[in-house]
Amino acid sequence: MFARLSIAASAFTIAAMSSAWAETVTLTAYSGIFQEHYTKAVIEPFMKKYPDITVQFYGMPNSAQMLGTLRAQKSSPQIDVAILDVSVAKAGADEGIFDKIDESVSPNVGDLYPNARVEGVAGVGVTFDNLVLIYNTDQVKQAPKSWNVLWDKAYQGKLIIPSVPDIQGTTFTIISNKLAGGTDYKTDLTAGIAKIGELAPGVQTWEPKPDVYAPIANGQAALGIGWNARAQIYAQTSGGKLGVSLPEEGSGFQINTINLVKNAPAGDAAKKFIDYALSPEAQAAFTSEMFYAPTNSKTVVAKDAIERTAAGDMDKMIDIDWLAVAKIRDNITEQWRRRIIPLSR
Amino acid sequence: MTTATFDLAADVPKRSSAAGIAVVLLLPIALVNAIGFILPVLNLARMSFNEALPGGGIAETLTAANWTGLLQDRFYLDLIVNSVAVSLGITLATLLASYPIALYLHRASGAWRTFLTVLVISPLLTSAVVRTYGWIALLAEQGPVANVIAAMGFQPPRMMFNTTGVVIGLTEILMPYMILSLMAGFGRLDPKVEEAARTLGATPFRTFWRVILPLTLPGIALGCLLCFVLAISSFITPKLMGGGRVFLLATEIYDQAIVTLNWPLAATLSMLVLIIFGAALAVYSRVLRMIDQG
Repeated sequence: MFARLSIAASAFTIAAMSSAWAETVTLTAYSGIFQEHYTKAVIEPFMKKYPDITVQFYGMPNSAQMLGTLRAQKSSPQIDVAILDVSVAKAGADEGIFDKIDESVSPNVGDLYPNARVEGVAGVGVTFDNLVLIYNTDQVKQAPKSWNVLWDKAYQGKLIIPSVPDIQGTTFTIISNKLAGGTDYKTDLTAGIAKIGELAPGVQTWEPKPDVYAPIANGQAALGIGWNARAQIYAQTSGGKLGVSLPEEGSGFQINTINLVKNAPAGDAAKKFIDYALSPEAQAAFTSEMFYAPTNSKTVVAKDAIERTAAGDMDKMIDIDWLAVAKIRDNITEQWRRRIIPLSR
Repeated sequence: MTTATFDLAADVPKRSSAAGIAVVLLLPIALVNAIGFILPVLNLARMSFNEALPGGGIAETLTAANWTGLLQDRFYLDLIVNSVAVSLGITLATLLASYPIALYLHRASGAWRTFLTVLVISPLLTSAVVRTYGWIALLAEQGPVANVIAAMGFQPPRMMFNTTGVVIGLTEILMPYMILSLMAGFGRLDPKVEEAARTLGATPFRTFWRVILPLTLPGIALGCLLCFVLAISSFITPKLMGGGRVFLLATEIYDQAIVTLNWPLAATLSMLVLIIFGAALAVYSRVLRMIDQG
């Protein structure tokens, strides 16, 4: 009930905020460090290029809350563009909240990698991220090269694994399934679930707050899993306390999509922004700024940034079909609750 | 308003105008309640009969699937039992910790009493989130509490990221509410009655058991109702201190509404909590009636 109240409240705030200007594009995306870096790398240069358009960033903590707000505003949208996770974007597209983005909206769409254009999703991929191992450099001296370090008894009680329904947990299940010799994650995850069950007793918390990075950076825990982009940023700001490693077995991608809200008040200005966000120029700038891998194949990424994204290891990545995963998500959650979490009590 | 109706009880013509004023005065709050509470709850009740589609979609249907699914699923049955049990445990712990404080406060007088009352209420000035983080620091593996236990030669138990942590955190967070409710319900406790009991030769324990406790029952009932309702609906502390191992109704509603986007299921669970509230209220009024009848 709390959540619905706050969604309603935020809907009112946006309504009050954006009705005054015509050439204002209201963008909703993740609040916090994403907002900070996206504003710097993409929004500010965009507004410099198009001085008559103002972009308002309306940050929200997660994709679900964005969808909730968009749902509440469906009859009279106040948000023009939304950047959110691909599976949530699919739900929004199914409900008719978004308009299709294709080459007519932005010519850059033609240059996107094939996995940035997902069938059934109205928007297109704007960032790729991937799951990484993160570790406290005081407690783990050697940068771990394999996911298997999580099963090392030396780190019992020092592990943090964000559990499902968080998609870090979902991605980890798919990776573990591959490690355990499972074949197709879409049909059978038994091997992966059993493998995570083995490390369950050593897990300190399944639900790190505010996120997984802080407790590992400050030494409360030694090892965990997280998203590359955020981990890279916190590795910088923690003064070397947080280490990031992309294991040799590879990883899985998370896709953020950019979506055009149906009947968006900003009209063409919103399309201009989407076109810019997908341009090689904006993609390269954001990759250098926050280490999300680009979705535009024409992007020329700075060399030092390539090493800190999965862009150089594309062949090792597991191709996760998030829309297929959405269909089995309840089943994965159920298995975690019955076969993994009880082992850690 | 009670005094107004009381004064005018004999005066019939004026009474009807007072009733008119009462209606006018009640209208704004009734309106706020209708828009801000009744309508959303009805909306929620309606939502619980919708069908959830994979990936967070909602189909406008009229199906009882959420309800039947909930009551057939072992996980959710355990969740309900566990939530009620943990909340009752927290309520009992809060009562035991607060009762002596409330009794002492009731007997204190003057500036000392004011000072102590402010002290009791002051935790409410800090948000529950901040206090929960405080507990996380205190109860951590190498935290001060664990160190004291270890220094006494015992193996410190795990006090964080499990049910123990949630119970400790919520007990402390709910204590001010319990103390205030107890004090409000202690009105009938007159020191003269205690003195009379002692004069007639009752031991302190007997005085407490036969005199003080029965007279304070209304306060206990009120405090327990309030704490139970707050405990079963709180989700910040269980989220922060449960470590993902403690599944309670409120945290599950949060997960379903915000993470999994299964609003129909979240609505069903919310209605279930409302039903539990109703049951708690029914028990409370029954207990009150029993107290009144002696």
